[in-house]
Amino acid sequence: MLQSVKKYFRRKIWIRPLVQGFFLLFIALISVNHGLAEAGKGIPFLSSASLHSLCPFGGVVTIYQYATSGTFVKKIHESAFILMSIGFLLAILFGPVFCGWVCPLGTVQEWFGNLGRKLFKRRYNHFIPEKIDRVLRYARYLVLAWVVYMTAASATLVFAEFDPYFALFNFWSDEVAIGGLIVLGLTLAATLFVERPWCKYACPYGAVLGVSNLFRIFRIRRSTLGCKLDLACNRACPMNIPVSELHIVRDHQCISCLECTTEASCPAAGVVEFVAGGK
Amino acid sequence: MRLSSKPLALSIFVILFGGIIFTTWMGWWQTETTREPAKYNEGELAGQYNPADIRGSYTFGDVSSLFEIPISDLQTAFHLPTGSDPAAVALKDLESLYAELPVEIGTASVRMFTAYYKGLPYEPSEETYLFAEAAEILKQQGHLTPEQTEYLENHIAAVAEAQPVLPDPILNTTPLVAQEATPQAVQESTPQATEHSPEERKVAGKTTLQDVLDWGVSKETIETILGNPLPPASTVIKDYCSQKGLTFSDIKTRLQEEVDKAASN
Repeated sequence: MLQSVKKYFRRKIWIRPLVQGFFLLFIALISVNHGLAEAGKGIPFLSSASLHSLCPFGGVVTIYQYATSGTFVKKIHESAFILMSIGFLLAILFGPVFCGWVCPLGTVQEWFGNLGRKLFKRRYNHFIPEKIDRVLRYARYLVLAWVVYMTAASATLVFAEFDPYFALFNFWSDEVAIGGLIVLGLTLAATLFVERPWCKYACPYGAVLGVSNLFRIFRIRRSTLGCKLDLACNRACPMNIPVSELHIVRDHQCISCLECTTEASCPAAGVVEFVAGGK
Repeated sequence: MRLSSKPLALSIFVILFGGIIFTTWMGWWQTETTREPAKYNEGELAGQYNPADIRGSYTFGDVSSLFEIPISDLQTAFHLPTGSDPAAVALKDLESLYAELPVEIGTASVRMFTAYYKGLPYEPSEETYLFAEAAEILKQQGHLTPEQTEYLENHIAAVAEAQPVLPDPILNTTPLVAQEATPQAVQESTPQATEHSPEERKVAGKTTLQDVLDWGVSKETIETILGNPLPPASTVIKDYCSQKGLTFSDIKTRLQEEVDKAASN
């Protein structure tokens, strides 16, 4: 046991799984407490807010209705709007850290992915031909456009019917839609072959935050001086970004997990770093 | 400037939870409906609450205080039970209170009543009914246009038709309507469920999901509208809405559109 703890803390970036685990547990507890509170048995000192009210993407889909009528889409409240704004602030500063450090669905995909990695070793996360993969990466923008349009047109949370994030934390309740459970099941099955498949190909919130990679203040920078071109950074990237071919990572899929940096996988000192300013 | 994982983790916590704490302190952080409708944002009514945005989760007390309507007028207009606090009754409970009525008295009725009471513009988005007492109060207020007066005259839910079914949280008191209803009138009201006959194809208080399926609306369409997997087909839609906290009038309108579509195909 002690050995396992020591081994864990010898990992170069041990804090990210810890942060991810915290948010997963935090959201799970709130979701359970929401059900308990409705039955009059809520846990004191713990929020019993609905998952919709704590979803930053809920803020994104309600923007149109808020701008045109001053109201929120049903089930969405001010808290979702505030979390959306905080998510944007984090993204402007650090890129999509929400995806890489906070999002519980991303965390669950990573954990399930460990099984796939054990099963398929180096083939894991490289099953889809690169050309097809490159095109599929833009599918999440189609999902985003569809969700925003349908929400604006119907003034209801249409995405809740297919949302694997909502299904993950409500699979035990009668609030969950069968569509959400199916998408969650497919996503988890796909993680055995592809790392973070939902994030890569379908997540509409990831699509929004991904745009911040073009202008964020802190970015991943690879120095050509000292780079051994051993491709360790490429292998470490869960999103298959060819970091070794870039100077500044502006790929819309980067999730700022820092796994490619010198702090984590790059063996050369000061070559791949998370920096602000400079060229 | 270089940033490693630990200060990045700290920054995420500080910004995320700092933002939540700050907005809570400012009174902006709300995870539930604030029970405050949207306001008109232009014209001479700018800044006034818009009755069209009244939600089913509001209580009559909310409506009374937001629109400055005496609770006694609301109690009379909607036959609210006398043995309990009428201000505590939620608008969405009206639908179960008057579940046996062949026409619907619900949130849309309160929206219309409030708008006409205050002389505010309101276009009913569906067939909206009021009790005769409500119409009388509105006439006394003197804000009705001739068109509104005519609309009301054709949209009165007869008192004798009402057979209130009280949801548990409201009270156990027998409401005024039940006391006034004659046995004959009550008897008359029951068979009016014939409006759900396939010939008329009208979604109303007693319509079941099986009726809607029989009228040609697909299971998938119904599930999309309900936002949930299809419950047993024998479920009465109005009861289902009450259980799930859905606004029956909204569901009814959407289902009726699909029924009409299916009928025209």
